[in-house]
Amino acid sequence: MRRLALTGSWPNMLSEIRNKRRGSVATHGIRAGAKNLQTDRLWMFETMLRSRELENRIKTIYFEGKTPVFNMAKGPIPGEMHLSGGQEPCAVGVCAHLRPSDFVTSTHRPHHVALAKGVDMQAMTAEIFGKATGLSNGLGGHMHLFDAAVNFSCSGIVGEGIAPAVGAAIAAQIQGRDDVAVTFMGEGATNQGVFHESLNLAALWKAPVLFVIEDNAYGISVAKAESTAVASNVVRAAAYAMPGVFVPDNDPDLIYAAAGEAVARARAGGGPTLIEIETHRLEGHFVGDTVEYRPLVERERMKDIDPIMLFRERLLKEGADAAELDRLATAAAAEADAAVAFARESKFPDLKEMYTHVFG
Amino acid sequence: MSSVESSVEVPAGAAERKRRLTISRALNEALHLEMAADPSVVVLGEDLAKIGGVWGTTQGLLAAFGGKRVRDTPISEAAFIGAAVGMAAMGLRPVVELMFVDFFGVCMNSIYNLAAKQRFFSGGQVKCPMVLMMSVGGGYSDAGQHSQCLYATFGHLPGMRVVMPSNASDAKGMLISAIRDDNPTIFMFHKAIHGVGWLGTLPASIVNVAEGSYTVPLDKASIAREGTDLTIVGLGVTVHHAVAAATVLQKEGVSAEVIDLRSIAPLDRETVCRSVAKTGRLLAVDDDYLSYGVSGEVIATAVTDPRVKLKATPVRISYPDVPVPFSSVLEQAILPNNEKVLAAARKIIAESSGG
Amino acid sequence: MVEVTIPQDFWDDDSEGSISSWFFAEGDTVQKGDLIAEVTNEKAASELLAPGSGTLSIVVGAEIPIHRGQLVAKII
Repeated sequence: MRRLALTGSWPNMLSEIRNKRRGSVATHGIRAGAKNLQTDRLWMFETMLRSRELENRIKTIYFEGKTPVFNMAKGPIPGEMHLSGGQEPCAVGVCAHLRPSDFVTSTHRPHHVALAKGVDMQAMTAEIFGKATGLSNGLGGHMHLFDAAVNFSCSGIVGEGIAPAVGAAIAAQIQGRDDVAVTFMGEGATNQGVFHESLNLAALWKAPVLFVIEDNAYGISVAKAESTAVASNVVRAAAYAMPGVFVPDNDPDLIYAAAGEAVARARAGGGPTLIEIETHRLEGHFVGDTVEYRPLVERERMKDIDPIMLFRERLLKEGADAAELDRLATAAAAEADAAVAFARESKFPDLKEMYTHVFG
Repeated sequence: MSSVESSVEVPAGAAERKRRLTISRALNEALHLEMAADPSVVVLGEDLAKIGGVWGTTQGLLAAFGGKRVRDTPISEAAFIGAAVGMAAMGLRPVVELMFVDFFGVCMNSIYNLAAKQRFFSGGQVKCPMVLMMSVGGGYSDAGQHSQCLYATFGHLPGMRVVMPSNASDAKGMLISAIRDDNPTIFMFHKAIHGVGWLGTLPASIVNVAEGSYTVPLDKASIAREGTDLTIVGLGVTVHHAVAAATVLQKEGVSAEVIDLRSIAPLDRETVCRSVAKTGRLLAVDDDYLSYGVSGEVIATAVTDPRVKLKATPVRISYPDVPVPFSSVLEQAILPNNEKVLAAARKIIAESSGG
Repeated sequence: MVEVTIPQDFWDDDSEGSISSWFFAEGDTVQKGDLIAEVTNEKAASELLAPGSGTLSIVVGAEIPIHRGQLVAKII
């Protein structure tokens, strides 16, 4: 069990953790096998690009039909939209270790996790457009994406995916599979009762589950320091008798290392782990959020710490081929364009679709 | 339950200039007035303090009354609503917001077992003067967990008032009444008529609102439009569907009476029965799930009253027993609207013509 | 006569907004400082206050595209 000495103030604790983590990343990388690691790293970069390219297009299209009079009900993508720009490392660092048979739940901000888990981009995009070719024939929409083929689902209620992940993990135990479950949540969800109930249950039953907190420091307008009595949820993991790991800096490699260890532990029967990732929400809570509650200096800093940009720089510095990275970017853009075109051209569902899936 | 005085008090000097407000601003004005008048009124909920609420209802309260009385909470509905019950027991008058009615699942115990039953279990010793505001309603593609109404879910459980205004003038007076009332009140506001600019608001809900404090009773329906041939009963947004239909029917020689329920619990059965006893025809419209719903309750109320002699089969228009689908073509097809109300009204009249 | 125009600081660029609600009707009496309309650009709302007192004459109705600086009403 990893213990973190939590001494003194929040900044001190952060640098303590960073120092500890750096050491263990190097060790882990060698253990994993350099070839797998490099393949996985390129996959992570590519997947982050794919998610970002799609979301950039979704953001633009979202405003179609909504100007000059902003009416949320209008346009090809109506309703609310919560984009994950900046949080891509959380999804790829964890999902790099997962199989289709591993179970994942995510939140109202799901696109990056869905794609990293292997959800088909075209079907997902069509679902966001409410089309019959969508994952759920247009019944679910952006916050309720389900793909049983890769065991992915998400929810619009904060904290709702936590307990099902524990259940899926127990199912794997009962059914004799070494599959794991992962639940992604924001830091706001850790103040929901079900979070605490689920952690206790997972530890009690030694469920092979990962609780992954995408800590972007804001629950809509409320900063973490104003909502949460502890500086880090690693403390709460200890309270629920499971290892807790803090990963700083939104770093895909560090996330990959921490998640790899947790997944291996779970598959081997070692029980649950909580991973708290310091990530960044580059924009507002929803598309249209003016983010005035956030200090300007923080908002302006976001573009300087774009994780895709930073990871690309790191890969180049290590000797990656720039042309290869560019090819991945071009391919991601083309794939996103194709997904959007597919969604636009697909037809809307028939009325009777609604009634077919109320009961079975 | 004790009931607020059943006459609308309008402050002296009410022959004053007109100005209109959205329901959002009217509720905000009510909160400012009551918080200034009564130091025991406190406000808590998600995103209410610093940004004045995602629905705009608590704008300016933090600056005016400070962080002790106006608080942002963590995403912990069970805890902060349960805490509000405790505050209320000790003499505070909490106004709490559940951001979307759909979130009631995580905190229903605090509502229906705690807030609603304090007075009853204590034999009147302990009261719960809490107002729980919540947004309801869909029609803008927010899908199955952000678009529900759930009037019947809350109306069915004894011990709490459940109200919903259809216009800004009622909204202000009703909220002031609710804050002053010693009973827990579920104060629903419908998103289609609330007045947040990014959602599209029915203009008919933006009406003249008197300045100063006034109350509107919490247990009386209002007659939105008088008539003699048909009673149409609605609440919140469906009142506006009914009025729109009634306007067209007038040109066709049909005089429809529109009742704005305003209160789901307790239901003003007397107003409903007197109206249907007069007209003999009943159409009930609500946008909650059909089965076990408000419209069914309205019809049951009327048909079981000995004064009512029906000239036509009562009709209810509701939302079907289906989770709210995301795709707009589906959702728009199944919501109640002006045309459906009009079509149903014409059919009732035709069924009973000559009656 | 006082002109009511959309203030330049209501939003940042040349994009269009609209009046989401007028809070007074044509011919109503308004006083300087009254909240006479709510104006939205994307999702941000701003409050339009009466720059003078008198009778309101509306030039641009609700939900019609407008620019910053545009004349939307007169107070006579």
